[in-house]
Amino acid sequence: MLKVDKLMVFYENALAINELSIEVNRGEIVGIIGSNSAGKTTLMNTISGLLLDTRLKEQRKGGERITIFGRLSFLGQDITNVWADQRVKLGIVLSRERHPVFVESDVEENLRIASYLLPRREIKGMIAQVYRIFPALFPLRKRKAGFLSGGEQQMLAIGMSLMARPKLMLLDEPLLGLAPATQVKLIESIVTIRKEEGVTILICEQFARPVLPIIDRGYVLENGMLTLHGTGEELYDNPEVKAAYFGV
Amino acid sequence: MKERVIDGQNYRKERIARCIKARSDDIYALTSQKEMWYLLFPRIVPIVGIAIVAYLLPIYWKKVILTTCIFAMLAVSWDFLSSCGMLSLGQALFFGIGSFAAGGFNHYLHLPVYLTIPLATVTGGLISTMILLPVIRLRGIYFAMVTLILPLMLMRLIEATKLLGGTEGLTGLSPFPNEWVEVTLIMAAMWAALFGLRRFIASDYGLIFVSIRDNDRATMASGINIYAFKAQALFIGSSVCAFCGAFMTHSYQFTGMPVFAMEFSILPIAAAAIGGMNTLAGPLLGAMLLVPLSELLREFGTLRIVFYGAILIICVIGLPEGIFHYLSRKYNEMERWVKIE
Repeated sequence: MLKVDKLMVFYENALAINELSIEVNRGEIVGIIGSNSAGKTTLMNTISGLLLDTRLKEQRKGGERITIFGRLSFLGQDITNVWADQRVKLGIVLSRERHPVFVESDVEENLRIASYLLPRREIKGMIAQVYRIFPALFPLRKRKAGFLSGGEQQMLAIGMSLMARPKLMLLDEPLLGLAPATQVKLIESIVTIRKEEGVTILICEQFARPVLPIIDRGYVLENGMLTLHGTGEELYDNPEVKAAYFGV
Repeated sequence: MKERVIDGQNYRKERIARCIKARSDDIYALTSQKEMWYLLFPRIVPIVGIAIVAYLLPIYWKKVILTTCIFAMLAVSWDFLSSCGMLSLGQALFFGIGSFAAGGFNHYLHLPVYLTIPLATVTGGLISTMILLPVIRLRGIYFAMVTLILPLMLMRLIEATKLLGGTEGLTGLSPFPNEWVEVTLIMAAMWAALFGLRRFIASDYGLIFVSIRDNDRATMASGINIYAFKAQALFIGSSVCAFCGAFMTHSYQFTGMPVFAMEFSILPIAAAAIGGMNTLAGPLLGAMLLVPLSELLREFGTLRIVFYGAILIICVIGLPEGIFHYLSRKYNEMERWVKIE
């Protein structure tokens, strides 16, 4: 479904992603595991197309020079130079790091804003579906998003990316800053999303322990380079992963 | 594009700083005459260039240089305030207060020029800081609004109360001894303000001001009373403007309501926008271009503003980083294509 071929990203002279090739098949949950500075967020921004925009802005103001090599293809179509909004229309939707929501709007309004690409008559049903997946959001639907807790905001952010009816959902560190119990709940919801909506999911995380059991395949990144690739169980049993990410 | 593929081989454009100085804390070790010239060249050229223009050209252009230097100082002071997180739309306020202070000292107390200017600089800075103390807690657009309105209020206050000469203003103030003193003084003051403030911002003390702009809450959390520091920055910035006001008063031998004109607030911002913000030298460069340009366009009559505006827009779209940022990048960095292995 998604194919990243020999991707290289430079921030000025620093190499953020080095010859990375990954593949995501339809219906899978694929995990990208890596510590800080592994290049996870850069990878997510590249796949979602936001990096093209950053590159243009930096170029205009003469700031940091971003260089991108390699090819991206989605459903057989080359999307290397397709802009972020077009990619959303193709079905790639990113839920960004640190759950950005529209803080001045309430939960329901947030979901409505995110439903821009849906036909009008489907919006109600889709919002109801989001509340079904995240029941905790339903009682809060008239509350301003800025007053939600971190976990609730994360649920809302994922719900918002769901509203665009993605084919491929990119989750950038969905567990960041959440309590372990909330993490477990969120992971369960992600499994539900795949089961009920048939969405393919690519998930970036540094908390490997809760994520590894649910993923079909995983890639381990280190300093922008692919170090390990395997199924969820393989990675879970790998002594190096255990040492680096489970702290045992 | 910053990437290129030749024969299946990827190339990327690399930027390298022309690193010439060995630096240890605050000691520069320069190793050759070439390196010294590399550093001195961009500083000496404008100083000498402007001096030549100011001393050799006829009297009309001397006056233009005076105005240019005054606006350049206003722009530098605007940029200094914005470096400290205070977005000011009221350089006219500081300028006007300095002007009326100098006019008042000269007209009522009969002080000579060499006393009124330093006195007006300090009192102008103090009065401006006092007036703005209550709103120092405001940030961004709210602070800007207050500073925008105050000069207009003061202008009408003087008109209504007929204080300080009222609508006629104070006339017949003492002039400078001669035009050479005048030109030398304003140029010296301008370079002193630029290099002094640049040095100041780069010091550990100035770092606090920059950090207030970056994140005032984090600065507070470091145990720094940001309002005290903002007041100090306001005093420094407004003193520079007050000096300009005092200088202009004696140069024209007149002070009156026009010193609170909007022009003194807007032009520095335009200069900073095209010159490059947060560099101090950028706004100065911007003013050096804008003021003479507006003089050159004078022959077009009313169309002047149209051309002027068009040039401004082109500059902001074409070089959003500012001319100074662009030039300094070209001067300090080399570029080359490198093969990616």
